[in-house]
Order: sequence, then structure tokens, then C-alpha cells
Amino acid sequence: MKDQHIIGILEGGPLARLSEGELAAVREHAAGCAGCGRAVEAARVAAALLRERPASTVEPSPFFQTRVLAALRERRAEEETPALSRLWRAAGALVSSMAAAVALLAVFTVAAPNFGLADEGEVVTTASDFYSTEALFVPAETADAEVDYDQVFQAVYAPESGGSDE
Amino acid sequence: MEQADDLELARLARGGDESAFGEIVRRYSPRVFRVAGRFFRQRERVEEAAQEVFLKAFTQLDGFEGRGSLEGWLTRIATNTCLNLLRASGRRPELTVSDLTEDEGTWLEDQLSGVAAARHEAAERSMVAADLAGRVLETMSPDDRLVLTLVDGEEMAVKEVAEVTGWSESKVKVQAFRARRRMRAAVEKLLEFRGKGRSVESAGER
Repeated sequence: MKDQHIIGILEGGPLARLSEGELAAVREHAAGCAGCGRAVEAARVAAALLRERPASTVEPSPFFQTRVLAALRERRAEEETPALSRLWRAAGALVSSMAAAVALLAVFTVAAPNFGLADEGEVVTTASDFYSTEALFVPAETADAEVDYDQVFQAVYAPESGGSDE
Repeated sequence: MEQADDLELARLARGGDESAFGEIVRRYSPRVFRVAGRFFRQRERVEEAAQEVFLKAFTQLDGFEGRGSLEGWLTRIATNTCLNLLRASGRRPELTVSDLTEDEGTWLEDQLSGVAAARHEAAERSMVAADLAGRVLETMSPDDRLVLTLVDGEEMAVKEVAEVTGWSESKVKVQAFRARRRMRAAVEKLLEFRGKGRSVESAGER
């Protein structure tokens, strides 16, 4: 059975720093206790190993400074790359939404007038003059080329139905 | 740039001056290499760790206020960076007596018999012991290795160890106490195996 007091001395500090009194106590006890004897022996070997292990004496190579600065530049470039790509993505989104808006406008401008409005007898004709005044009065089946100046004149200046004072 | 004092260099480097930072690297790389050498044995690993220390230091330059020395500040960063690298590697190989080289076995026996063997040159014995110490320490946790190397190996005061690690003094003491117990147990295991090996060998000779 190991004496906890001896173990406490062995583990309480570096073996090299034990006082004469502590060393004497350890020696005296270890002489009569096989378990503690082995513990003292192991502690002695462990202390010798630690003393013999100086820090590895690696000297910096002449290129070390250059390597560190190169690694620093690389790391900074890596950190900047995500910011650029974020900017690029944002610009892409803006361009895409603008393109979508233009396309939508084009669709409404070119195609929408023909959707469901060109029933027989309606006064809507072609897309090019959809918003013109005469378009409101020229029959749908009449092509642009067939509308002559008189028709336009009449359409524009014709008295409004039901609104006349005559 | 070589004449600039540490505070000035740190101020310039903080502002992005690469040559100022290069001067810091030149001035303190021997110190950082010594710290990394406590943790790693292979040249490549020491150099990798030292590089990581400087890269980390660059990003933390705002934290250097000049109250302590730049060397002390870098030593603290180096110690913690190496400790973290060691923790991250997570490698803790087992060491049994069968892994010992002939020279290591002889060194252990010499220690046991108390003869500081005249059969080998002192430098050679020292190299064998340093190698064996490194291999025993590799089986232990990074925190145990650090505290044993600093307190028992380099005989640094608890207060100094607390400063370079950022641990409290009580933590250093408790860690050292436990680490000594674990180191002793590891060595005891090697000695027991060695003892058994010896008795088997001597029984065979009879």
C-alpha cells in the first residue's frame, strides 16, 4: 500500500526542487515499501527524461520571413474574395431583375393587347395604335393600312354619342 | 525599419505596413521557434506552427497595447497557438516497451541501476533520453505536456507559466500535479514491462 504522504511529495513539485528533509522522508519510506519504491524510481526516471528534453532547437530558415509574408498575402486575398463574389452576386441579381422587368414590359406592350380583347365588333385594332385615339373607334377587323385619313378624321372629330346638345 | 522600436513596428504593421510586420517576424522568429520547439519535434511541424503563430499575431495586432513587451505578447500567442494545434491534431500514440529502441532500453536500465553509463558518450545519452522523453510526452494530453515541459523540464516558476498560458496559478499547480502523476504512471508501466522483459531474458539464459 502506497503511502499517500510520499505520493503527495512526489507529485507536489519537481523532484529537483524537493528539500533535503523531503528527500530523506521519501528515501526512508521507499526503503520499506515496495510500491512506493517503484513510484520513487519512476518519478526519478520521469524527472531525468524531462530534464533531458530541451526544446527542439530548430532555427528559422532564411526564407521563413518570405514564407510568412506570402502566406499572409494569400490569406488576405482569400478573405477579400468572398466580399468580391458577394458584390458580383448582388450586381448579377440587379441586372437579372432589370432584365426581367424589361422583358415583362415588352410582353405587356407587345402581346397583352391581343389577349382576350379582340372579340368581333370591338373597336380595338392593332398593337401599334392601341393607345391612339382612333383605335377606340376603328373596327377590330380593319387593318392599319386600310384606315384612311378620312376615317381617322371622322373618328377623332365625330360627335360623342348621347352627349350632344343638338 | 531595423531601428524602429517594437511599439512603432506594431503600430505600422497594424496599419497594414507589410515591411514592418516582416521586421517583427525577422526579430522574433527565433523566440517563436523556441516556443514551438517545446511542442513539436519535427522541423516541418515547428516551422508550420511558427508560421501560424505570426499569421494569428497579425490578425490580433489590435490587441497589443504596448503595456507589456512585444516578445511576451508573441510568446503568449505562440504558446496558445501551439497548444491548440496539438489539441486539434488529437494524436496520442500508445508507447509500450516493444516500441523502445535498444538504446532507449539501455538508457532506462542505466537509470534504474543508477550507473550514469560510461559506456555511452554523454551527448549520445542525452539524445537518446530527449527522444524517449519526446515519445513518452506524446502519449500525454497537450496540457500535461506543456505544463511538464515548462515547470519540470525548464523549471519555470508557476507564475511565469500562468503568464505565458493565460491560466490561473492554481490551474497551473493542479495541472502540474496531475500531469506528474500521469507521467510517473506512464514511466512506471515502461519500467514494469522492462523489468518483466529482463526477468524473462534472464530466465532464458539459465
